[in-house]
Amino acid sequence: MSLTFSLAHLMGGIILLCGYSLLSQRRLAAMIMLYQMQACVLALAAFWQGYAQGEINLYLTGIITVALKGLLLPAGLREIVLRFNLVRAVESAMPMAMSLILGVGLIGIAVLVVLPSTMSAVSLTREDLAIALSVVLLGLLVMVTRRSALAQIIGFLSTENGLVLAAIGMPGMPFVAEFSVALLVLLAFLVVGIFLLRIREHFDTLDVTGIEAIERRGR
Amino acid sequence: MILLPIFLPILAAMALTVWGRPLQGAIANAVLSFFVFLLTLAVFTSPGSGLIHADALGLLFGALTGFIALTTALANIFYVRGAEARLAPPLWRLYHALCQVVLGATLLGLYADNIGLLWAAVEGATIAATFAVSLPRSASALEAAWKYFILGGVGIGLALFGTMLVYLAAQPALGPGFAAMSFSALSSHAAWMDGSLLTLAFVFILFGYGTKAALVPLHGWLPDAYAEGPAPLTTSLSGPMLNLALIAILRFRHLLQANQASGGAAMPPGPFLLTLGLASVFLVGFSLSRRRDARRFFGFSSIEHSGIVAFAFGIGGPAAIFGGLLHMVLQTLVKSGLFIALIGAAGLRDSTAPGHYGFSHLRGIVHSNKYAGWVLGGAIFGLVGLPPSGLFASEFIIISQTVQRNPWVSAPLGLGLLLCTVAILRNVGPLIFGSPPPHTRPQKAGAEMHLVALHLALAVGLAFAMPGPILALLSNVAGALQ
Repeated sequence: MSLTFSLAHLMGGIILLCGYSLLSQRRLAAMIMLYQMQACVLALAAFWQGYAQGEINLYLTGIITVALKGLLLPAGLREIVLRFNLVRAVESAMPMAMSLILGVGLIGIAVLVVLPSTMSAVSLTREDLAIALSVVLLGLLVMVTRRSALAQIIGFLSTENGLVLAAIGMPGMPFVAEFSVALLVLLAFLVVGIFLLRIREHFDTLDVTGIEAIERRGR
Repeated sequence: MILLPIFLPILAAMALTVWGRPLQGAIANAVLSFFVFLLTLAVFTSPGSGLIHADALGLLFGALTGFIALTTALANIFYVRGAEARLAPPLWRLYHALCQVVLGATLLGLYADNIGLLWAAVEGATIAATFAVSLPRSASALEAAWKYFILGGVGIGLALFGTMLVYLAAQPALGPGFAAMSFSALSSHAAWMDGSLLTLAFVFILFGYGTKAALVPLHGWLPDAYAEGPAPLTTSLSGPMLNLALIAILRFRHLLQANQASGGAAMPPGPFLLTLGLASVFLVGFSLSRRRDARRFFGFSSIEHSGIVAFAFGIGGPAAIFGGLLHMVLQTLVKSGLFIALIGAAGLRDSTAPGHYGFSHLRGIVHSNKYAGWVLGGAIFGLVGLPPSGLFASEFIIISQTVQRNPWVSAPLGLGLLLCTVAILRNVGPLIFGSPPPHTRPQKAGAEMHLVALHLALAVGLAFAMPGPILALLSNVAGALQ
């Protein structure tokens, strides 16, 4: 039992650390790297919970997580960075130190909110939940403090990792694998959405409707 | 049986994406919606069991959703006929498929007796609706879709976290497994749930589904989505989606209330809902008068009505809940009809594309067509809640309950409603009877105006002469969910 605790907490801690470090990164490549690390540790945590709770579903969640969020999504994001020439620094809407302090504050709030209100729950779930809520809030903070669409997406992806972390910690919760798939659909749409948005940002006067009309008339 | 109205549209959507010219797609969409409407009525006889199992609330709003989808799809045929050149044929196919996906997902959410399925349904409807908003591919449409996606995504994330917390809060009462996610089991065991955890969960649920219901401060996506997307789908069919989110909030509110009433540690849900509701009504009251685009204007008015409903749920008690539910039914009917009329009116003035809905562009509709002008004017007037509009009945119930149960908040509510009413009424006169732009000639109105008249008649009929069975159903629901 004690190993279950300490390993689950270790992995939760690493996930939180990755989420927090996202706040301090100026470069998109570093943010993607951190996200990838977070997703891989999340997959490990899912496997570990699956083993500890004896749930096949959680293994499935882990496999989905490592394949899609650990490998595929980061590859897609790197492709976007290269394609749109975004290798240089990301701007931040708020001074870095300020957002780091706010981040600490949010973690404090998450712990203060969750721990007292979950007195009756199993201890493992309690602390996991506090960590998960911190990751969720930190991801939202990243979304607020960054202006670039891609950095906002990475913040959202991190938020979503926090949600999955909470889900795998729930004792015997049905639909966990389904939830992670449903969230992934959302994420996939977001990443595809960037492609569309970037089209607009790069060719500001280009109205695609006009092109379609011209194409139809031409053919 | 209950699976049919949910999965028929979702499966048919796949066929619609690959088949048909735009007009054929529109007709197929209307035929499908007709069958789905019949199925939503048939569900009353066999509400199903297990995961997907409709209670009275789901049945009632399912039938309403089916009806709105049918009239929207019929009006959509006229819309497509005028707008066919604006999108490429594959995009039209996608558009009609998305109409069906939104319909199926909304019905799934209404009929699901499982908090996880409800969440998945809301997510599916959101993705489909966002996708639809982006279809015109213009810069402003992409921007609107992006805003919708980011806000909607955050809302969906928060709602999922809240859903998991509800499951955790139900552990002491129901233990692990499906029972702890079923609404019927949760509401009968609410007294034994972990109250403080349930309160925390409700905050996440309120902000999560509140984003979908467009409650202030999470309303930002709605006016843009209404103004920029392909009109019938993103405006008329959006009413049932707002209803779904509000019903979700109502169901979770009931858990909190029941837990608190039986001595649990949960906080009363009223103050949260009252605050968000009042904030919505006031924000709309102040921003309506600055809007120049009719679709955006009436988008804001949807935020106001979500706010009124949330306020009614916050007041609590069977009568106020009844008023809130009645308000949802009536305002969905009036608002969907209004948007159908608005699109028809823009069609009379040359184009139904976004950007052709400015008040200055549409003014003096009567001079284009008398019937269309009167119908549109009636729909707008129906929205303000003065008699003989149907909304008068629901707002009257809500206000009288407020005075009775929580008199302190009745003054701000009245002030907010007054602001909104004045802002809307100021626009009716010029829009309908004002002097038209030069070179306006009388035109023939489309048959969709009859649909609007039907909506308005239904709204008035339901408000002042509600048939006995529906009244009994609605009162039972309100009593059970108080």
